[in-house]
Amino acid sequence: MSTDTVTPLDEHRYVLNMGPQHPSTHGVLRVILEMEGEYVMNPQPVLGYGHRMHEKMAESRSWPNFLPNAARMDYLAALIYNHGYVGVIERLAGIEATPRAEYIRVITSEMNRLQSHLLWLGVLVLDLGAFTPIMYTFEDREKLIDILEDVTGSRLTYCYMRVGGVVRDIDDKFISRTREYIDWQRSRMPMYENLVTGNIIFRKRVEDIGEFTPDLARRYGLTGPCLRATGIPYDIRRAEPYSVYPEFDFDIPTETAGDCMAAYKVRFREIEQSLRILEQALDKLPDGPVMAKLPKKIKLPAGDATYTVESPRGELLYHLTADGSDVPYRMKIRVPSFSNLSVLPEICSGMLLSDLCACMGSLDLVIPEIDR
Amino acid sequence: MNSRDAVISALKKLPATVNEVEFKQCGYHLEVLVDAGRLRDFALLLREGDFYLSFISGLHLKETIEVSYQFANYSFPCRLLARVEVEADNSLPTICDIFQGANWHERETRDFFGVVFRDHPNLMPLLLAEDMAELKPLLKKDDKLKERAAITRAAAAPDPQPAAAKEDA
Repeated sequence: MSTDTVTPLDEHRYVLNMGPQHPSTHGVLRVILEMEGEYVMNPQPVLGYGHRMHEKMAESRSWPNFLPNAARMDYLAALIYNHGYVGVIERLAGIEATPRAEYIRVITSEMNRLQSHLLWLGVLVLDLGAFTPIMYTFEDREKLIDILEDVTGSRLTYCYMRVGGVVRDIDDKFISRTREYIDWQRSRMPMYENLVTGNIIFRKRVEDIGEFTPDLARRYGLTGPCLRATGIPYDIRRAEPYSVYPEFDFDIPTETAGDCMAAYKVRFREIEQSLRILEQALDKLPDGPVMAKLPKKIKLPAGDATYTVESPRGELLYHLTADGSDVPYRMKIRVPSFSNLSVLPEICSGMLLSDLCACMGSLDLVIPEIDR
Repeated sequence: MNSRDAVISALKKLPATVNEVEFKQCGYHLEVLVDAGRLRDFALLLREGDFYLSFISGLHLKETIEVSYQFANYSFPCRLLARVEVEADNSLPTICDIFQGANWHERETRDFFGVVFRDHPNLMPLLLAEDMAELKPLLKKDDKLKERAAITRAAAAPDPQPAAAKEDA
């Protein structure tokens, strides 16, 4: 959208450009703000700066060659994107991964979710002007990434899961380090509560800011923690269980206030739930191979299938249509941040510019995921 | 509408063709075929039934372009995939006044497939650059196009593992 579509402006209104390089847009997102004094009257996001056309790449090469792409959309939840992609291939081709592999997928996915939430916690308060917490959350996050690096070989853009299993087994060292990490993270949470949650300056910046409602969520397709902040306990891990999630006991945190503070509290409490899943998965981890026995070349049967997973930001969905060859006919990737960001013009109109940053931080945007 | 059966009977009254599919195989519960003329009624019905819009996307086939709409519900498991064929002039009515989230999804579908959504308030390129409005990257070349039948799941596969083509080298 170009700026000339927002004319005519009356004499108190002006257009302010935010981004594409702005610290609180977390990537190359541009927002055209129609301002009245310090109030944002009409924010219009402009997307596409990081557009790579992953959907076209998916249909121009055989399906195994798309595996590395899956990690490059959401750099904070690469393993969960891996999980969704191998899931949709397995569902369409009727393949089952081995039980041990399913557990390892859940363990690594939850660790990925934890590091995403820890980064979010740090940068949300950083956006609001507090520098200290990000140093602490990055200390925690570094421990997680080190553990994942040992087993997957990369630190951010993992390509670890394969159709039928995972590429490398986890060992006792991985398990003992993860258990150490769980205790460490639990011991840190009271500190974050004192440092961030209970901080009066932080609370004044996020309480009663933003208004997520169940109706707004339905109209825009809002998912993830911002939806759960409106009181709806909707989590794909529970609503449409996939992998071995039904075997674990965990809660879906909800809040009813629907403001940025509620979204903060939901995400904060999800950290503990992910730790619970990790703990149970490590206890129950079955023995066996991590790759199913499969033919060397797998063709995708004609038909279509959907696979939905819960990313740290909401509902991530792969919709695959195949024509019987090994090249997908069409691959649609529904990313959570795309729908989540589209609420911005509605909820942020009439808000102070500094509150818009709080709102965008609460949505936990990852721009390469939106642009795909 | 608070159960899948209620949704099915409401959709059949619309009228629309509703097929129940196996969730374990397809990942969604209902497959719905809607005429372009009834698309808005269909969307209104789902809006009243408290559904949310998951995505809108296209599919280029030999006969036509199909636009798929996926909806799901927060309160009970009912994910439905609706397929709508575009009208002769490559257009469809917009539903972004019913589901506001459709605004961006429709712009994206316009970018990638060139489907025009009538009465859309701002059908400008969203993910593509402004000068790429006519690129339509996901349209396929004629020799790559498949018919609907070629990408439809074979009915009731007798073999429990139909997928693995045995081409071991």
